[in-house]
Amino acid sequence: MDFLVKIFIEPVQYEFMQRAIAASVLVGITCGLVGSFIMLRKMSLIGDALAHAVLPGVIIGFMIAGKGQTALFIGAVTAGIITSLLIGFVNRNSKIKEDTSIGVVFTGAFALGILLVSQMKNVHIDLTSYLFGDILGVSRSDLILSAIIAFVVIVSIVLFYKQLLVTSFDLTMAAVMGVSTGMVHYFLMSLLSMTIVASLQSVGVILVVAMLITPAATAYLLTDRLHKMLIYSVLIGVFTALVGLLGSYHFNFSSGAAMVVFGTMVFLFTLIFSPTQGVLIKTIRRKRISDKNISQDLIKLIYKNCIDGKSLKVIHAKIKLSELTSQLGLSKSQIDKGIKTLTDDGLIDIQDDFIHVRDKGRKEAIQLIRSHRLWESYLNHEKILSVEKLHSDAEELEHHLTEELVDEIDQKLNYPILDPDGDPIPTKDGELREATNR
Amino acid sequence: MSSNNFAIEVNNLTVTYNKKPAVKSIDLKIPQGSLVGIIGPNGAGKSSLLKGFLGLLPTDSGLIKVFNRPIKQSISSISYIPQKESLDWDFPVVVSDVVMMGRYPHLKFFQRPTEHDKKIVEEALKKVEMEKFANRQIRALSGGQQQRVFLARALAQESEILLLDEPFVGVDAATESTIISLLKKLRDNGKTILVVHHDLGKVNQYFDYLVMLNQRLIAFGKTSDVFKNEYLDKTYGGRLTILQKSEDLQIENAKLH
Repeated sequence: MDFLVKIFIEPVQYEFMQRAIAASVLVGITCGLVGSFIMLRKMSLIGDALAHAVLPGVIIGFMIAGKGQTALFIGAVTAGIITSLLIGFVNRNSKIKEDTSIGVVFTGAFALGILLVSQMKNVHIDLTSYLFGDILGVSRSDLILSAIIAFVVIVSIVLFYKQLLVTSFDLTMAAVMGVSTGMVHYFLMSLLSMTIVASLQSVGVILVVAMLITPAATAYLLTDRLHKMLIYSVLIGVFTALVGLLGSYHFNFSSGAAMVVFGTMVFLFTLIFSPTQGVLIKTIRRKRISDKNISQDLIKLIYKNCIDGKSLKVIHAKIKLSELTSQLGLSKSQIDKGIKTLTDDGLIDIQDDFIHVRDKGRKEAIQLIRSHRLWESYLNHEKILSVEKLHSDAEELEHHLTEELVDEIDQKLNYPILDPDGDPIPTKDGELREATNR
Repeated sequence: MSSNNFAIEVNNLTVTYNKKPAVKSIDLKIPQGSLVGIIGPNGAGKSSLLKGFLGLLPTDSGLIKVFNRPIKQSISSISYIPQKESLDWDFPVVVSDVVMMGRYPHLKFFQRPTEHDKKIVEEALKKVEMEKFANRQIRALSGGQQQRVFLARALAQESEILLLDEPFVGVDAATESTIISLLKKLRDNGKTILVVHHDLGKVNQYFDYLVMLNQRLIAFGKTSDVFKNEYLDKTYGGRLTILQKSEDLQIENAKLH
């Protein structure tokens, strides 16, 4: 308990920490929202570029108006907008592609900023805290500015949600709505510049792009809806920033670096363990499907060995396991596993080396045979595939066709008796259809 | 009153793409309630023509009227079904989100969709038999299903004119026939439909009218009147080379200036 108090409660009593906590929350919110759109519009590089390019704006602002929040804000936003205009100008008036024009413009602007810093006599600027952030040094006025920016960003995104969604997803729809994509772009660039200003004190110029896109990218892996992505991105951003702050307090880490390292860890964790799209669940799902296919192939093969192909009558009550192994292109362990699944599911019984198919197994096998043969008949009827390819396609699809779809095909083909190879197609109840002329 | 029967009237339209004219001096009068195919070789400017209608590409000259009004005033009565590769299919939207975008032109600037809009979206999805997929992310659909979602969006938009850019690319024959019968049904309900199409095989069965394009308008008329060898030759060969040569000369000249 003491330990927890020391980690979480003790820091809160200091006023500078209270400010830092508020700043972290605000950074998480602002970056999480704006970053989601930056990521979806494939503008991560622009995010990084603007963060660097605001430097000369900030310095010039300080030179004119002295060090203060207003100068910082106006200088940075102006520089951000000029930079994005300049990138657009280079794009439109040359054959140079966007990534290169971004590279040229932002490095140039950043370098200009550094030149200006070295020439500034009357105002001292701590370049290190500007580059890497120093959240423990956040002042009251920094905080007020961040709060105003967060408010503007939230209100803008709520109000312009439709326009932002449409211009990010489908420009043609935006045109039909009469939304100017150029306007939305520069509006978003202004929001981005403000977001960068709000994050300067806590993460710094170099790493602010990570606070923009990493929580957004993490959220993107967790949901398929934009509004949920925005909410998740904010929550992850806030969480990341707070953990980074604690690291900074307890271990004297650079606050920006601590936030970004933790954010990257959260991202990697999500990439692997996301319950819907994670690498792990995908592997398990793939394995499960292939296991299911194997055991289905097995029961079909076992049953086919027990019956006469033409009449579907059972001719062997049981068959020898060792006779099967050669007929499937499967390893011994795959077969063993498949047999175990079939036994556990009550589809077959095993006695010594003999397999006896139970009623449940018989039904399953008949359904698979039915799916396979009807699908072959359907493809043949629609003349979609050549006769040679029919079998392999049906072999794959018999595992996936739903019962309803199989019934629909049956009906559409007017309840055929034989498949293209001349083999009988069992009915829904597993019976053989009587030929009317028989 | 006869001019009122035209859904789209185009006079002397030139659309530029990458600063070069993609289609030139086009005159068209598309009757309301017709299913129109736009055909021509690669680079003939088929997509550019549609994009010019929407103002997605700059138009150098020309006038476009939609139901006798300047296009700017009636643009919300047009819906456009984009080419497949122009969209990010991993975008975090589900089927019903995409269809809901069709309601956006009807909403005020800051307005949220209402219950009424949600109902229209549901109905549109039912009409294309996609209601079961309302909550699916759009990547997790087949090519044909994706097309039907965008058709549903056009339905939800309640637009009078539908522009489709190569809707049959990457869909199988069965889906193609489903889509075309849906389009024919819409046409029978009075909608005007323009389809950019590159396969000449079924042009006869699909379209009432044909726009034959090769940077210039080669022919426009009832399919039975213009789908003939003389126009096809002009569209796909023969005359093309001379047109192409004149185009090349102009580009050369532009470079010198």
